[in-house]
Amino acid sequence: MLFTWFMLAGFIFLFAPQNITNRFQFAFARIFRWPLSIGRSISLSARVRQPFTDVVPRREYNKLQNHLANVIEQLNLEHKKVEKLSGLRIRLPLEGARLVPADVVRVSIGGLQSRLIINRGRSDGLAEGQFVVGDNSIIGTICDLAYRQAQIKLFTDPASRIEVKIAGSNIYRLMHGDGGNSAKIPMVSAENKINVGDKVFAREKPGLLDAPMIIGKVAQCKEDDEKPLLWDITVRPACDIEGLRDVAVIIMNP
Amino acid sequence: MRWFRFAVLLSLVAVLQAGVLAHWNIKPDLLLILLVFFAVYSNTSEAVITSFTIGFAADIIGFAMGPQIISFGLFGTLLAYLHRVIAIRRMPYQAAAIFITGLLAGALVHFLTFLKGQPTAPNLYIVLLATSLYSAIVGPFLFLPSAWWMRIKTDRFSRH
Repeated sequence: MLFTWFMLAGFIFLFAPQNITNRFQFAFARIFRWPLSIGRSISLSARVRQPFTDVVPRREYNKLQNHLANVIEQLNLEHKKVEKLSGLRIRLPLEGARLVPADVVRVSIGGLQSRLIINRGRSDGLAEGQFVVGDNSIIGTICDLAYRQAQIKLFTDPASRIEVKIAGSNIYRLMHGDGGNSAKIPMVSAENKINVGDKVFAREKPGLLDAPMIIGKVAQCKEDDEKPLLWDITVRPACDIEGLRDVAVIIMNP
Repeated sequence: MRWFRFAVLLSLVAVLQAGVLAHWNIKPDLLLILLVFFAVYSNTSEAVITSFTIGFAADIIGFAMGPQIISFGLFGTLLAYLHRVIAIRRMPYQAAAIFITGLLAGALVHFLTFLKGQPTAPNLYIVLLATSLYSAIVGPFLFLPSAWWMRIKTDRFSRH
């Protein structure tokens, strides 16, 4: 009898809407916020540290590189706009955007899902679909919201689909996560010249992103085993997502 | 069963799994180990309650509610009934029980997650196999501290 009741409860949870059942997960993250952050700090401090003190740390270097890539891409976009609309005043990309800083409460990367929980929510003006930036690069989008917390679907999550462009080309494709710490860009013809290290940009999206922003770099580009006429492109994040302690949510035209 | 101690142990393990172990690429499933521990060392009705509660905790630290409650509850209960017929006392048997339960429960979790409309990872089999294997290796060694905390005598041979 006990078993039957518990099973019934399990099926209710299974088929209940996600926005209701997510409250349990947000509550857990809120109640155990301190022990979770301590655990995270222990885990991060266990990583190998940069032994030199007179060089720029890798994270800072990547952050600046991402910023540079974004500025160059924005400049290219501006050039195109100027060519089209010469004489008309146009607004700078991301000029009207507001960045909402947030602390990372929980990280779950690898395995089946790649998500983050942050300590900002509906009360801070966040909405589903908004882009999230970490170390000057796009890391994912808001997928679920509570009053004071939000869940970010990283672009490496298997459910993630983000339109991207590979730098130096006019190829726009939907990039999807592969569940690990990488994502795949499908349907790129092998005729295109793609190099390892090429920057990948999230494409501008009206109301959510005014200008392309770096999202990752091509980590591997080989012939697709099943379709030899296409590339099998693997993209790695432009920043160390697991090591992020804070992120920012882009709210366009607040 | 000392339920307060169980609640403290479960909270601790859930926080460890979601905090410290969240950054490991290949990690043991501590909640799976607890599931097998309570299925082996408590009576059947207690095993049913603990299995579903552990499943609930696993869902809370995951990102979809439901699949692990059902899966852990079902296989924890089955294991508890199986333990009434076949004693799982030796460490290799316990490791085997963790491995098989991990594979079966994991497969059901993914099926239910798929049923819920959530995507599953492309490297599903590797993740399942690695997690089950790692848990099976580590698990039996964690039975002793768990038994000490729960004040359960592991040398007692009982089939309820």
